[in-house]
Amino acid sequence: MMRTEWRDHGWQLIHTTPQSPSLHMALDDVLVHEVGAEHRPPTLRIWEWASPAVVIGRFQSLRNEVDMEAAQRHGIEVVRRISGGGAMFIEPGNTITYSICAPLSLIKGLSFQQAYAYMDEWVIEALATLGIKAWYQPLNDITSEGGKIAGAAQAHRGGAVLHHVTMAYDIDAVKMLDVLRIGREKLSDKGTTSAAKRVDPLRSQTGLPREAVIERMIDTFRQRHGLTDDVLRPDELARGEALAGERFSSEAWLADVP
Amino acid sequence: MHGEYKMPGGKLVVVDLEVRDGRLAGVQVSGDFFLEPDSALDAINRALEGQPQDADEAALAAAVQRGLGSDVMMYGLSAQAIAIAVRRAVDGDAA
Repeated sequence: MMRTEWRDHGWQLIHTTPQSPSLHMALDDVLVHEVGAEHRPPTLRIWEWASPAVVIGRFQSLRNEVDMEAAQRHGIEVVRRISGGGAMFIEPGNTITYSICAPLSLIKGLSFQQAYAYMDEWVIEALATLGIKAWYQPLNDITSEGGKIAGAAQAHRGGAVLHHVTMAYDIDAVKMLDVLRIGREKLSDKGTTSAAKRVDPLRSQTGLPREAVIERMIDTFRQRHGLTDDVLRPDELARGEALAGERFSSEAWLADVP
Repeated sequence: MHGEYKMPGGKLVVVDLEVRDGRLAGVQVSGDFFLEPDSALDAINRALEGQPQDADEAALAAAVQRGLGSDVMMYGLSAQAIAIAVRRAVDGDAA
């Protein structure tokens, strides 16, 4: 396998109407396999959320991470994603989430640390054009002088890499800490944790509406790497919906690591 | 029994387990680390199952290493970090 560059690929953009948390989990799974099988070109998918969610990492313990009773009380759906990393607290309009599905050739020869930073160079540039000096904080954070902006996670599936990122646009920290369990050990290294890390959201940093930040990100990706507007194929959506129902909203998957 | 260890520059490793007849049982490793392929988590749990309760850090790390295929990739996680979290669980030092 030869290393490829961004411009070697015909990047597609999917940015559609709000979808449920479990469908988002499923679409990541479907699209990374479609890209790996060369059934679809490499794709940038911008997520719109239909409802609030806690998204836990592939290897996180459900009961150690989430107060299910509090989640229920707040009407928050708890889902497990296919990538590792930490729990994310999502409210529609408060986060900007995207997935990149790319052939493994794009990150061939890179260390994990390099691959994370490489997949988000365009975001660092987009933030710079909005006046935010941001940089990659290994292992998997985008941060700024004001605080953490985003967390990334990658998973390798079927010959492709899924790289997805949740950025804080705005945040209800009180509700977040009500639902997520934050342990002491997690605080020992950097004095902060993925969830409670001093987050400085994009709303206060840019003063721009969320949609304007997304538009700038899309423009930046388009200029750097090329980007064609696309939609989910009906069969992709159908498989996503089936997987969302059968797997990603099942108790077995959610509690796979109890 | 529950143990946690935050690997310096890495991620959090959590271990929940019991001790039965002097051996580790019901071992469940979890955390916000990255692991490829994801089935390697089960292999790690299996490798720790049945280890003597007094196995030291080096022995536990070696057991984890033996249980993993050569294709397994870890990011923010190591066999040693898992071994430390196991020791903390057994020693009651949840930290």
